[in-house]
Amino acid sequence: MVDIAGAAMLSWGLASGVGQIAAHASGPATGSLAGSGPLLLPAALILGGATLRAGAAFAVDRNAVGTAQAESRERRRRLWPALLGKPLPGPLSTGESTTLAIDHNTAIENRDVRFSPVRLNAVLGPLVVAALVAPASLVAAAIMLATLLPFVLGSILAGTAARRASDRQLAALSALSGLFVDRVTHLPLIRHFGAEARISRQVREATDQVAHRTVTVLRAAFLSNAVLEFFSALSIALVAVYCGFSLLGLLPFAPPERLTLVPAFFVLAMAPEFYLPMRRLAAAYHEKQLGEAAEAALAPYAAPPEASSTTPELHFDGLRVQDLTLAFPGIAVGPLDFTLAPHDLVALTGPTGSGKTSTLAVIAGQLQPAAGQVSGNGGAPLPSEVVAWAAQRPLLVTGTLARNLALAAPEASPEDILAVAEQVGLGPLLAQRGGLDMVVDHAGSGLSGGERRRIGLARAILSGRPLLLCDEPTADLDAASAAAVIALLKDLAGSRCILVATHDAALASAARLEIAL
Amino acid sequence: MIAPRQNPLAIAGLARGRLLVASLCAAFATIAAIGLLGVSGWFLTAAALAGAAGTVAVGAFNYLIPSALIRLLAIVRTVARYGERLLSHKVALEGMAALRGSLFDKLAAQDSRSTKVDTSPGEASNRLIDDVAALEDLVIREPARHAALVSAAVSLGAAVFAGIPALAFLALMLAALPLLFGTVSHVLTQAPAEAAAEALGDLRRHYIELAASRAEIATYGLADQAMAELEPRVARLDHARARLFRAEALQGGLLTLYGAFAMAGVLLLAQASAPIVALVMLATASAVEAMGGFARSLLRRASLDAGLRRIAALDALDPTLPEPLTAQQAATITLGARSFAPGSRVALTGPSGSGKTRALLALAGMQGPAVPLAIDGIDASACTARQLSAQFALSPQDAPLLIGTVADNLRLARTGLTEAEMWDALDAAQLKDRISRSEAGLDTLLGEGGGTFSGGERKRLSLARALLARRPWLLLDEPSEGLDARTEAALVQSLGAWLERTGTGLVLVSHRPAPLALCKERVEIGALT
Repeated sequence: MVDIAGAAMLSWGLASGVGQIAAHASGPATGSLAGSGPLLLPAALILGGATLRAGAAFAVDRNAVGTAQAESRERRRRLWPALLGKPLPGPLSTGESTTLAIDHNTAIENRDVRFSPVRLNAVLGPLVVAALVAPASLVAAAIMLATLLPFVLGSILAGTAARRASDRQLAALSALSGLFVDRVTHLPLIRHFGAEARISRQVREATDQVAHRTVTVLRAAFLSNAVLEFFSALSIALVAVYCGFSLLGLLPFAPPERLTLVPAFFVLAMAPEFYLPMRRLAAAYHEKQLGEAAEAALAPYAAPPEASSTTPELHFDGLRVQDLTLAFPGIAVGPLDFTLAPHDLVALTGPTGSGKTSTLAVIAGQLQPAAGQVSGNGGAPLPSEVVAWAAQRPLLVTGTLARNLALAAPEASPEDILAVAEQVGLGPLLAQRGGLDMVVDHAGSGLSGGERRRIGLARAILSGRPLLLCDEPTADLDAASAAAVIALLKDLAGSRCILVATHDAALASAARLEIAL
Repeated sequence: MIAPRQNPLAIAGLARGRLLVASLCAAFATIAAIGLLGVSGWFLTAAALAGAAGTVAVGAFNYLIPSALIRLLAIVRTVARYGERLLSHKVALEGMAALRGSLFDKLAAQDSRSTKVDTSPGEASNRLIDDVAALEDLVIREPARHAALVSAAVSLGAAVFAGIPALAFLALMLAALPLLFGTVSHVLTQAPAEAAAEALGDLRRHYIELAASRAEIATYGLADQAMAELEPRVARLDHARARLFRAEALQGGLLTLYGAFAMAGVLLLAQASAPIVALVMLATASAVEAMGGFARSLLRRASLDAGLRRIAALDALDPTLPEPLTAQQAATITLGARSFAPGSRVALTGPSGSGKTRALLALAGMQGPAVPLAIDGIDASACTARQLSAQFALSPQDAPLLIGTVADNLRLARTGLTEAEMWDALDAAQLKDRISRSEAGLDTLLGEGGGTFSGGERKRLSLARALLARRPWLLLDEPSEGLDARTEAALVQSLGAWLERTGTGLVLVSHRPAPLALCKERVEIGALT
């Protein structure tokens, strides 16, 4: 609103400036007005109006950034913990998770900063401009409003249908243009097989096709821009012609008003403002589309944080899995039926990609199964507090080794931590690198794969949870380290219930039972 | 700072004339836009003067031409703008398609072992993609840049009628704009833009680490701690982005003020009749806006300068493909001091990180050798890439697959493959069942990074591809990683049969006992150097 007020002030300055010069020329005095008093007020109005506009734009933007970032913080607070550690509808790769958490969130924030502030203005702005113009010339205001109706109709016809079609097609095109990236990335392999010429033909065909189809899509997209452009130009032309003829007294009808130069010029200078809010809206439309696509993608994960379940009795009497069936894109498991005693070691085997990790995640309550039951041996539901997880690549946070080991049991005493660290075979590392106070960074620099694996196991043991789920505890380890980890697991099975997912035959044979997926 | 060193059109390999029509359209659109407002203002003011002077003056006033002109300009502006948009995009898109094709050819003709250009996969190629996209954007904006200069010229031309002081003032204002704008935006936006990019990268790296530990975070309820790890990074990003947004808003505000200052100055300095002053002031507003756009595009081009130079450097490469070598005699290979006749099966052993993979890549001509390797007595580094790839077919450790279908990936191996040959190879790689179960068969689509194929399946598809290449030597890097014991045993058996039947030699890297059983010879990598 302040922006339009500034525009009005600026326009009035322009109009009165021209009016002053005109009045001076038709008056008795001769000579130049330049630099003289009467023009200083119009000049000041012009500058003042521009200052208002600039200030308004700055304030709106500042406000929009503040609001958008506040919403963004709120969204992260809901979304990120869900993505990082709440039950999900389906498995999520690290890359997908990152895109959802960071890129999609940024797209929504950009939409909020760029599009949301101009949206309301696009509706109100033209009406306010017409209202400001009306006292100067009712007819001009009526002309502006009259062009609005065919504009809206034209936009709907040219815009909506074409745009929807083009959105879909552009999405398909982006996949096609990904081909170029892919082939450049794989050039060494392509050269190795001597397939340069063949792949080049394919790349050229694909890129040409992308270019031609994109032009077709754009043709439709630019048409809706042209509609906006046309009506904006038309309203200026009609206003100018009307005002001119009115001032000449040559109108073919009797106007309801008597125009003079200054109001007429004011009206003309305001004419471009009428469609300006909508042009701004059109400019930010891309951000809106990206933001909405991002919102749609985030929708399944943006569930409100569920009320913390009443802490059930932490009694663990073994694990029972009945008719468990998993159905995720690319993963089909089950039905599985098995039971584990409170002190047990069972292996879940199958090739990579067969759904071992997903099965563990379902048992831990992190993913929803398609069918079936996970419960304690007595049939009571399995509280998530009984489950410990030893990952292939355990989480490391910046801090001391002690803090990392005790992540799941912050109240553990240094003696306990030390004892468990020795138990999992971290003794040599402690001796070498300064004990429990050795500093670990989030990337685990200076730690071998085997040492990381042991940190994960130590953390699981320290948590004191009776059911331990281990994901590929021996993958990528050399034979000696793998044997040590297997021995450790066998040892632990004497005091807790362990389910390992593995494709290591040695580990599978150490288990009481092997369940092949 | 604002020094356009290269013409984007020249880099894109487009003739200067290609954008001529688009530039003309842009110029027409700009002139029409300035004209529409300027002529309207002039017409209105002159009409008011004539109206005030009485009926005689009105009778003498030619209103037909200006009023017709105004309507014409409204139409020209619309049509010309549409033409500009469409033509500039058409030229840019078609030009970039051709450029991508020719860059691909030039890159493809280089030796993978060359260090002349950074053509390594990953970041370098992504940068190339970004560079080309940026160039495309520059080409699209080129007509608007020309039009901005036209608009400045038109408003200066109009200012001639307003007297020397106004003309000089306006000329100075327009000429100084790009420089001032460049300085202001350098001061205001550069630091926050860099800070935002850095903070985003940092946040992304940390988030990826945490997302990889999802299971643990979920199990132990560590989400709050994970959020605490991210919090300072998020705050840094938010802060930098807020500063950047504000700097951009401030920049826009300053441009509005600048335009108003120019108009006010023209008003005060003009020595002309009211209609002319009206015309010049309205033209000034459009010209300042257009020059603002011009300044922005100069900045954009300056920031893309490094990218444009990278494209130019790649474009200067020699596109001549080396002649393909076909039907080579199987060679004797020498690993360190030991030589192996064609058809030998050699396992390359050693602890992880000792360079086994590197040795395979060196034989495949994909990397320079780190250990002494020779083919028919010629040192591997002295062999051409063609000589090496005529001898060896590699199935790499990471089993890279192209986006496309299973058949696309297999056809990479050799020209003129029949479907029957492909099924045979899939059979030998123990993947026939999996593919034939899939509805699309050989046309099953693989997404980025292998899509719905598991690690083990990707390995086997990559192996089938290497088999189809029919080279005298097969190079396999951990071929059975990610397979269950039964599949692994079947694979080793069918692979052994295939080697037997074709008399192909094998250099194997594996830490698993089953595939190692295929090899009669062992070479310790540590003993090579």
